[in-house]
Amino acid sequence: MFNFNKTVHVVKYRILWICLSACLLLPGIVAMIYSMINYPTHSPVKVGIDYTGGTILQYGVPESVNNEDISKTRETLDKIGAENSYIQILNVNPTEKNKNIKSIISIRTKFIDEGSDMAEQITNAIQKEYKNSELIQVSSVGATLGKELFRMSLIALALAILGMIIYISLRFKFEYAVAAILGLVHDVLFVVGVFSILGIFCNVQVDGLFLTAILTIIGFSINDTIVTFDRIRENLRYYGKKMSFGEIVDASVTQTIARSVNTSLTAFITLAALYFFGGVTTKDFVLAMMIGVVVGTYSSIFFCSMLVDIWEERKAAKAKAAV
Amino acid sequence: MKNKIIMFWVIVGIALACIFTIYKKPTKLGLDLVGGSRIMLEARTTDTIREITPEVMRRLQIAIESRVNKLGVSETSVAQVGDKRLLVEIPNVTDLKEAEAFLGKTALLEFKQPVLDANKQPQRDDKGQLMWESTGLTGEDLKSATIGSDQTGQWTVSLEFNGKGANKFAQLTEKLVGQQMAIIFDGEEISAPVIREVIYGGRAEISGGNSGFKYEEAEKMVNLLNAGALPVPSEIIQENTVGPTLGADSIEKSKFAGLIGVGLVMLFMIFYYRLPGLIADIALCVYALILFALFKIIPVTLTLAGIAGFVLSVGMAVDANILIFERTKEELKAGRNLFTAINLGFDRAFTSIFDSNVTTVLTCIILYFLGTSVVKGFALTLALGVIVSMFTAITVTKNFMHLIFGTGELKYPALFGLSKDEIGKGYEATETKREKARFGILD
Repeated sequence: MFNFNKTVHVVKYRILWICLSACLLLPGIVAMIYSMINYPTHSPVKVGIDYTGGTILQYGVPESVNNEDISKTRETLDKIGAENSYIQILNVNPTEKNKNIKSIISIRTKFIDEGSDMAEQITNAIQKEYKNSELIQVSSVGATLGKELFRMSLIALALAILGMIIYISLRFKFEYAVAAILGLVHDVLFVVGVFSILGIFCNVQVDGLFLTAILTIIGFSINDTIVTFDRIRENLRYYGKKMSFGEIVDASVTQTIARSVNTSLTAFITLAALYFFGGVTTKDFVLAMMIGVVVGTYSSIFFCSMLVDIWEERKAAKAKAAV
Repeated sequence: MKNKIIMFWVIVGIALACIFTIYKKPTKLGLDLVGGSRIMLEARTTDTIREITPEVMRRLQIAIESRVNKLGVSETSVAQVGDKRLLVEIPNVTDLKEAEAFLGKTALLEFKQPVLDANKQPQRDDKGQLMWESTGLTGEDLKSATIGSDQTGQWTVSLEFNGKGANKFAQLTEKLVGQQMAIIFDGEEISAPVIREVIYGGRAEISGGNSGFKYEEAEKMVNLLNAGALPVPSEIIQENTVGPTLGADSIEKSKFAGLIGVGLVMLFMIFYYRLPGLIADIALCVYALILFALFKIIPVTLTLAGIAGFVLSVGMAVDANILIFERTKEELKAGRNLFTAINLGFDRAFTSIFDSNVTTVLTCIILYFLGTSVVKGFALTLALGVIVSMFTAITVTKNFMHLIFGTGELKYPALFGLSKDEIGKGYEATETKREKARFGILD
């Protein structure tokens, strides 16, 4: 298991950590730029109806549906005027109470107005093709509300980051706060990048819950970072005169790495259970958090402590030059 | 030691009280778990009502409430959100589109008279349609509406006006004898019968024009008329309806996933931290009991996202114990005696635990105030979880640790997952006298 008796060399291999982080982030950033150029919404990820407005109708089907069946469904929908609808199939593990749903067909259309009978038309078309299918979920968001939700999300994100900066600046030094926030940006960029790639290749769309996942990741990642920084602070008090800052960083990481890995592991275990055995609706949400937990652990152990060390080293060099 | 035994019984008492509460009080399940509709309505201004005032919203809410009640399902709720929105929640809806159709209609019934030109002839528009103007008689003047049928067996809607309405209706029919009167429901002309004679007594019957009413049409109209018209039109801007099958499926799967997740975490703790791990697991059970009891007392409506928040909080609740045990192990390795190591583990880990939990609660607060209702559920359960875990992971675990290990020597390092060789080989700590006093370090 995780018995870290050897010193972890954060400082010595910092080029390695910088390269690793770059490799982790680059594909996602490329995907985000690609998305921003190509999507009509100019967003870095494929956004769901929560932010663009639209209607999603979901049908439970008692048989397994594959992609070929869907192309036929798409034609039918084009005929009744629901063109450019986006159709997705979710496979479901049937449970005791719910033997009748093997697949869920999810159809995303433009926002269906109250006056329109488009929903009934689509339901009729689907039920003609898939006998015994039933409408199990309807979600609808008006376009103006979508914009409003999007704005609120950005405000929430900004507030969360601001709150973290203030809190860490109060508890630690400002430079720790900067390092922690850079770590956050690192984690958020990675998760959004992964979802951007998933959006391009697997048509995964982000919704209101995705933002929740991002904010939770922020909380979690800060959590890990704080524990490491807390230890650096404590060690500085006891060994500040005997050891160099770099040595203290290494020692602190060595002392906290078991805790960081184990904590993330327990959170990861619970998330994995939710992902594999939980409901279909929260799958992407849980996936985002799983990715965030892993990358957050890496960043707080290696990325953030390395940044603090670089900063301190520069400060020391400057102080020397001044003398 | 005496204090610790008292504390132990306090913890047992809290746990029992929680079990009692959980047993007695029902769980409030969200619409995504029991199935149902959550609909957000936004009030729209009209030519006559140009501003959505709190008074207009109050009237709209009453009208919508009375309609929702007409659906005949229990535990519905209509709540105002922001300045001009209403959130309608209707559990146990089986027909996914039914509720929506029922809410959207303004249900404004109007009686209109022809616009007359200078020669007292009805005017027609460019398309040859008769032009109508308001008479001031509306659905508000109704006492009640019922379903009836006429001589030919067609379904009709029978109207009974209230006193004022009956007078208005009599005057109107008197004026319009020989002419047509239009009956308009939600802007749609239902029929335009010719008035043959003055109608006294305040009773009238609407037939569905040439095609007649279907029974469902007549029934829906009667229900809407009796529930009252909306003061302003409202538009559905957000809707989420979950069928009962999906709801049942979600709850079953979440339960299963939650049990597996929590079970695995518990096994991990025992496997990695041995006896302290087992103690942490017991604290985790106390944690789950307190949290569930709180959910029922507050009450927190459990949603799918809320369950995810709860399960995640379990993963995070053991975080505090991991921090403490790691620290205790380190102190043991540094050659400290057992009692000191346990105390140091708790005291030194506390700042980390506190700092990291504050940031999580901070995020939850932001999510709670800015998020949608789904997000709110997640934020609330996670925040409650983190706060409760501060108590169980620190107070409960510390109490059990001291009761079990006492002040004696650590005879079996394996109980902490350590080997004998590791003891005394760790880092060297140098505390000041003051710190030694504060942490209760025994040399």
